[in-house]
Amino acid sequence: MSCSCSGNGSNESLFLPREARILHAHQPTATEKHFTLQLVGGERFEFQPGQIMEVGVMGYGEIPIGLASSPTRTDTFEIVVRTVGRVSTAINTKGNGDSLWVRGPLGHGFDLDALRGHDVLVVAGGIGICPTRSLIQYIADRRDEFERFVLFYGARDPLQLLFPEDRGVWRAAHDIEYHETVDRADVAWTGNVGVITTLFKTTHLAADTRVVICGPPVMFEFVIRELDSIGINRENIFVDLERRMKCGVGKCGHCQINDKYCCIDGPVFPFSEIQALEEAI
Amino acid sequence: MTEMYIREGDFAPFVDAMIAATRVIGPVGKRKKFVYEPLESSSDLRLDFDVTVLPPKKVFFPPAQELVRFDGDLVEGCIAPIDTVLFGVHFYDVKGIDMTDFLFRERNADYNYLAQREATTIVASNIQAISPRAFWDSVGPEVEPEGHDAFLTKLDGGYVLETRTPRGETLIAYGAFRDATPEEVQAAADVNASVMGRCPERLAHSSNAIAEKVRDSFGDEKLWRELANGCFSCGSCNTVCPTCYCFDVKDTWNLDQTSGQRTRYWDSCLTREFAAVTMAGGGTENFREHHSARFRHRFMRKTTYLNEKLGGPACTGCGRCAQACTVDIADPVKVITTIMEVTS
Ligand SMILES: Cc1cc2nc3c(=O)[nH]c(=O)nc-3n(C[C@H](O)[C@H](O)[C@H](O)COP(=O)(O)OP(=O)(O)OC[C@H]3O[C@@H](n4cnc5c(N)ncnc54)[C@H](O)[C@@H]3O)c2cc1C
Ligand code: SF4
Ligand code: SF4
Ligand code: FES
Repeated sequence: MSCSCSGNGSNESLFLPREARILHAHQPTATEKHFTLQLVGGERFEFQPGQIMEVGVMGYGEIPIGLASSPTRTDTFEIVVRTVGRVSTAINTKGNGDSLWVRGPLGHGFDLDALRGHDVLVVAGGIGICPTRSLIQYIADRRDEFERFVLFYGARDPLQLLFPEDRGVWRAAHDIEYHETVDRADVAWTGNVGVITTLFKTTHLAADTRVVICGPPVMFEFVIRELDSIGINRENIFVDLERRMKCGVGKCGHCQINDKYCCIDGPVFPFSEIQALEEAI
Repeated sequence: MTEMYIREGDFAPFVDAMIAATRVIGPVGKRKKFVYEPLESSSDLRLDFDVTVLPPKKVFFPPAQELVRFDGDLVEGCIAPIDTVLFGVHFYDVKGIDMTDFLFRERNADYNYLAQREATTIVASNIQAISPRAFWDSVGPEVEPEGHDAFLTKLDGGYVLETRTPRGETLIAYGAFRDATPEEVQAAADVNASVMGRCPERLAHSSNAIAEKVRDSFGDEKLWRELANGCFSCGSCNTVCPTCYCFDVKDTWNLDQTSGQRTRYWDSCLTREFAAVTMAGGGTENFREHHSARFRHRFMRKTTYLNEKLGGPACTGCGRCAQACTVDIADPVKVITTIMEVTS
């Protein structure tokens, strides 16, 4: 290709994506697609649970997506993309052997040091299970570094529940306390029905539990109310926030929450750090 | 570094020699206004401008800037700086450039901006005409302009050029300069001192006092609704501002439908969609839904959010936003004065 614009190879562009090959793609629900990816060239993709990346299809654009697998696993990495609009639709037309273009990892993941040595509760609502799955797998793989591990997962209805194999594993694991719920049941559903906060009744949590929350904005307020009543310190609550992102590197201004940037100061924040920010939740 | 002098009659040949050797961008007249454009001849140069419509940020951060090109599976970056002299920049716009330099460099250095910045020699010039909405002499007076390579001051019968960097020094070779006399250097200093205190608008409070009061006003919905009353979210105040640098990124295809580019475009936090997030599931959440929340965000950025990093407000007092706003509500002096009065 004749391109007059290349040159100056020494100074790298923040915007130049890398090619990642789709090793495996499948569609667990009507709207979500689960991809297992590997960087072309075989280089290992290093990241922390909770970090994000920009994932794109050239000609369509790129969108922020949370990493859904644990860095403790293999040299591949996984994402789950919900078909929402232009770019997510373009990504979800791709299949085995195709490429996606990625930039990252970006942002701050979960503060593992703050969680280590403590009871951990993960509260994941809807698609929020994807970025938290990275942490869940991480804790499961290094189980002895953490105390009690409780996991709450809620979805709108049974058809929206992702990761059936993982859920089987979590349910069976003796050292994970897994609770799930749906807002609306179908005839086959025998589990809990109700919003995610109804799960708090099913178990007792210690006040020094470390909590991770990821889900739709409406969920935060109600979950935090429950945590307050248990007496959990807001410094020990970590929230994973969503904002529109165009650059992912703290320049474009789109993800700004007052004077914080979701893309580089987050997307995971201690709740105490953002609770006073009017534009946060 | 050195102080040089060039006679009025030798000035045009100096500029023409520079234009012959490299790309020179400077202020030129366009109808009744002024814009920065590549100069074709010294006769285009209008150093008597008051303020240009757009700030010189467009030289390093153009309204549309290609970031990446692709053709099938080939994907490559678009960093291609062109050696440039940016000639005739008022000191408040030098401050604006200093701020964007810092912001594009901090945390993740953005070479799509910095490469062109580093390939550009900046010649500042004295203010000969003061824009009707300017207030640069009362905003961040403690912030010194830095990122220029030379400073040119017009005197009767000639110009004094003070070079500030080796790069600025090289420009002397293009013209019939001689060493300036101490009297000429003093005359230039007097010319520059004499414009201070002459802006038509002014802020009556220190940057710190303003930062504190404006931040405290955040929760005063009523005040911000009043201040933003009439705003139609056009984003003109963002577009003309030397310190605004938010952008959108879009992909476009070429006619062949196999190749195309990823481009960033100037964007405005005043527009409705800027902070909207499409929630998976269909609905749309906007974290700054009302235009007053967007208007407030802009002022928070200008007067408080970035102060610590920039050593002062992210406003240079150029007055462009005040001039660009059809409903005349964007003027920082008006907004700040109201906040200082209401909350005092
Ligand atoms: C930190 C973070 C992690 C995310 N993790 C996941 C994930 O693991 N899986 C997943 O399916 N989705 C995730 N999302 C949401 C995903 O980025 C959006 O669904 C996506 O941007 C929609 O883009 P689109 O072009 O398909 O939709 P359109 O509605 O056509 O998008 C238009 C524009 O809005 C922006 N936009 C729209 N919705 C969102 C949104 N919810 N968040 C941010 N920007 C948005 C896009 O950048 C795009 O520029 C995450 C978002 C963030 C911020
Ligand atoms: S303040 Fe004025 S210039 Fe800015 S968006 Fe509103 S109407 Fe437009
Ligand atoms: S806010 Fe207005 S006066 Fe201040 S730098 Fe921007 S355009 Fe100039
Ligand atoms: S996504 Fe651009 S600043 Fe955060």
